[in-house]
Amino acid sequence: MNFESAKKRFVPMSETMFYILLSLQQERHGYGIMQHVKEITNDRIVLGAGTIYQSLGKLEKDGLIVPTREADRKKFYASTELGKQILMEEARRIQELHHNVEGLI
Amino acid sequence: MSENRVELLSAFRYVVPAQYEQWFEGLAAEGWHPIKVGQWSSMAMRFVKGTPERYRYVVDLQAVPQKGYKQIYEEFGWEYVGRMSNLYVWRKPYADERPESFSDAENLRARNQRFVWAISFSLIVVAIVATLLTGWIVSHAWDKGQTIPYAVGAALGWGFAIYLGWVMRKIKRSVRNGTM
Repeated sequence: MNFESAKKRFVPMSETMFYILLSLQQERHGYGIMQHVKEITNDRIVLGAGTIYQSLGKLEKDGLIVPTREADRKKFYASTELGKQILMEEARRIQELHHNVEGLI
Repeated sequence: MSENRVELLSAFRYVVPAQYEQWFEGLAAEGWHPIKVGQWSSMAMRFVKGTPERYRYVVDLQAVPQKGYKQIYEEFGWEYVGRMSNLYVWRKPYADERPESFSDAENLRARNQRFVWAISFSLIVVAIVATLLTGWIVSHAWDKGQTIPYAVGAALGWGFAIYLGWVMRKIKRSVRNGTM
C-alpha cells in the first residue's frame, strides 16, 4: 500500500490504533504493547487481547508493521517506514487540533 | 461421584455474543464448568459441578485465525476453553474489574460484525436450498411418492431460514442498543 492510500485508510486513526503504532516504533510483542500503552497513559488505556490481535492483523495486512521474530511462542512486530510516515501524519493532525483548541480551555 | 448436566442447543438459544458470554458466566458463578467444548457442543454441552468461580467468558468468531491468535490470548492470561466450528471460547478468572478482550468500540463492533456476516451467509445458503426444494416440489406436484421427502426438506429449510432471520433481527437490535 502506498502512502496516499494508507493515509486515506488510517488518518484520522482511533486512539487504540495510534497507541499500538506508537508502541511499535520499537520492536514489541502483543502483551508488551499492552504494558507500554498502559504505562504511557497512566493506566487509562488497557488494551485487550482481541483488540490487539485484530489491530495487529490490520496494520500488518496494510504494510504499516511487520513481524520481526518469534521467541518463547511470542511474535514480535515493528513499524515499517510507511507506518512511521502515517504515525507522523497523524501526530501532525493532532498537533493542529491541539493548536486550534488552545484558546478554548 | 461428580454431578453433571447437559445443556442442549446453547449456541442457538443465546445467539447474541454478549448474552452467550453472560450465560457461561452465570453457570460458572453457580459452579458449573464446561467439561469439553468441541465441534458438537453447540448441540449438547456437558458441564460438571465444581467450585463457583468468577470467570469472564469471551466468544470470538474466527474463520481463519492467523498464526499467533491463541498465543496472544494466552499471553493476556486467557484460558482456551475450546471451539465449536469457528467459534472460539475463552475465559479468564477475575476478582475486581471484569476484563475485556475487545477493549475498544471499533474492535468490539468488528467482532460483532463477523457474527452478522456468518449468519447472513448461512441465511442465504439455507434460503437458496429451500427455494430449490420448493421449486422441485412444485414441478413434481403430481408425483406424490417422491415429493414427501423434498417437502419435509423444504419445510425444515424454510423453518431454519425463519430462525436465522429472527437471529439477525435480534443481533442487529442488540448492536443498535449497544447491548452486544
